[in-house]
Amino acid sequence: MAELTYREAVAEAIAQEMRRDDSVVFLGEDIAKAGGVFKSTVGLWEEFGDLRVRDTPISEQAILGAAMGAAMTGLKPIAEIMFSDFLAVCWDIVCNQIAKSRYMTGGQVDMPLVIRTANGGGARFGAQHSQSVENWAMMIPGIKVVAPSSPADVKGLLAAAIRDPDPVIFFEQKSLYATKGMVPDGEHVDEIGKAKVLRNGDDVTILALALMVPRALEAAERLQLEKGISATVVDIRSLVPLDTKTILSEVIKTGRVVTVEENPRLCGWGAEISSIIAEECFYDLDMPIVRITTPHIPLASADELEDLMIPSVSRIFDTISREVD
Amino acid sequence: MDVLMPQMGETVAEGTLTVWHKSVGDTVSSSDILFEIGTDKVEMEVPALADGVVKEICVEAGETVLVGTKLAVIEEEGIKESIEETYVENQIIDTKKSTDIIAQTNISKRDRIDRSMKLSPVVRKLLAENNLTHNDIKGTGRNGRLKRSDVLSYLEDNKSNKQYLPDTSSRVAEFNDKTIIPFNHRRKMTAEHMVRSKATSPHVLQAVEIDFSKVEKARYQLGPDWKKREGYSLTYLPFIARALCSAIKDFPKLNGHIEEEKLVVFDRVNLAVAIDLDFEGLVAPIIKDADLKGVTEIARAINELAIRARAEKLTADDYLNATYTVSNNGSFGTLITAPIINQPQVAILSTDGVSKRATVIEKDGEDLIAIRPIGILAQSFDHRAIDGSYSGAFMRRLKEILETRNWAEIVS
Repeated sequence: MAELTYREAVAEAIAQEMRRDDSVVFLGEDIAKAGGVFKSTVGLWEEFGDLRVRDTPISEQAILGAAMGAAMTGLKPIAEIMFSDFLAVCWDIVCNQIAKSRYMTGGQVDMPLVIRTANGGGARFGAQHSQSVENWAMMIPGIKVVAPSSPADVKGLLAAAIRDPDPVIFFEQKSLYATKGMVPDGEHVDEIGKAKVLRNGDDVTILALALMVPRALEAAERLQLEKGISATVVDIRSLVPLDTKTILSEVIKTGRVVTVEENPRLCGWGAEISSIIAEECFYDLDMPIVRITTPHIPLASADELEDLMIPSVSRIFDTISREVD
Repeated sequence: MDVLMPQMGETVAEGTLTVWHKSVGDTVSSSDILFEIGTDKVEMEVPALADGVVKEICVEAGETVLVGTKLAVIEEEGIKESIEETYVENQIIDTKKSTDIIAQTNISKRDRIDRSMKLSPVVRKLLAENNLTHNDIKGTGRNGRLKRSDVLSYLEDNKSNKQYLPDTSSRVAEFNDKTIIPFNHRRKMTAEHMVRSKATSPHVLQAVEIDFSKVEKARYQLGPDWKKREGYSLTYLPFIARALCSAIKDFPKLNGHIEEEKLVVFDRVNLAVAIDLDFEGLVAPIIKDADLKGVTEIARAINELAIRARAEKLTADDYLNATYTVSNNGSFGTLITAPIINQPQVAILSTDGVSKRATVIEKDGEDLIAIRPIGILAQSFDHRAIDGSYSGAFMRRLKEILETRNWAEIVS
């Protein structure tokens, strides 16, 4: 085990996979010589060279079009979309082409590609560079959606995404890039579609994703100390496929569920999970489902406003203290 | 229209809503059965009394509420204003409170619900599975809300209490196959009443042997015509009931209620008759003013009560102010039954089997062995109200009336 940052884990995962498989290539804006605008791909160009690590023009459609063609013709491309907000210009190629090709060719065409993108707020980047758009991706049939919360999960899940024969959108949370954690040495591959129970409690089950996971864990510690409320915290990790088995069994244990979501409230991933919980284990609930989300509004770039909008430790703590009776 | 918990008889203050026959959204007509209620005295079906749609159900099945409590709301056909009003009101509240209507609608709606009154799905499930009601357990949540953990710890406590009882579970487990029959509403009511009666009243049993020759003679002479005319047999019971009412005139303290340290004696006899519902329970509706009725009227009244009891058509008024109870076990040929007093009454009589027996009679100064229809009448009385001599004298009087009256002439 070594202590790495979330951003170092990105580069380590890509390097691990490029070393073992020559068909893995990497393209995006400023990812090569500059090492990425978030410095998450430092050292890859130096190790793997121009052919496999390529800077592209500023055109998200060109990046994904090239990645798609490469995937169809036998490579395993990793494409970076610098800010996940820019996926908005990519939806035709993502939704109508990448996600549908295997189905429409009757399984003749594989689409082993990964779209890596920096997602979410907290970095004062304003309304067009701070959105948490995992719910956009979640609603497209034919694409996997992964969002890790720790350096170890970045390494293991990104490696798994690269090896996956189907397209995966891999959301890295910008505000987590500097966070540190212990990461297994050597080859580390995780499994996509498995949620992780990070804390066991008796009173309430908190479902969280990405940046919301460390905040939920901190809130859970405070709830235990200050309110005597003992919370389970589940890191969802993958929205598609969704680990309903773990989620439902953890919900049933406490009978109370709170989702903590960075995406805006309307059609956020927690709404879908709430619907599944209501269908599958309604009779095990001891409290209405509570969703803690960013409101349905454009994000502000002003520090104080952005901090008010995105669920914080104190908002999670306050809401759960109030709702759990 | 608001549907309220009805008044079922004058003395009933609360009732248990046992079953809903309709759910929210169902269309009902005024004659449709909407729900069933049970009190300590009666179970009955209640019709909707309005045409429309069930808009809201305010009381869950199993809850006990005061008379007049709102149970449901039926939106009558053509009347929609109330909904629109509520809708407009909600809109105003929501818009006032917030700039984020979508988020705020949830919060304001939640604020309006008094959650302490609501049972969560898991609590309902646990209560149903364990045959409990929310009244059985104290809620420790906010505003007394009953939480899942309250039910679970109640179940845990009860499990540990059971360890002090003789352990039969291992024996049952050996056989492996068993049937669990949860008490229904009537069974629970009976159980509660019987335990309370035994705990309240020091019961004393006294029995007399009756020679039913005169009654038998009347039944022999009148029975065939009766059966043809009335459609059912003329049994011993109406004769015993008639004799009972006559004897009570001489011993009025038996026709009363015990209220704390007082005995309330009634002028009229409202004779409760225990009726078995084909082994599915027991009810004791009354023959009102039985002391004013003859054998024929009593027989008809008993028959009519039995028919209505088995059709579940008794109302609370059929139980009102019972003053004395008779329990008839004779048809099973029992020798003697020690009945439990129907609270708050003073006494209860059991009539047991009548059979031909050799008995010694005295005729013209000589003892003879005769064959006579003999049966035992047994009375349990509450020793708080009267003593054995009073009850004994009453039994002697009852015996005398049954054995000496010329019943054949009286009835015809």
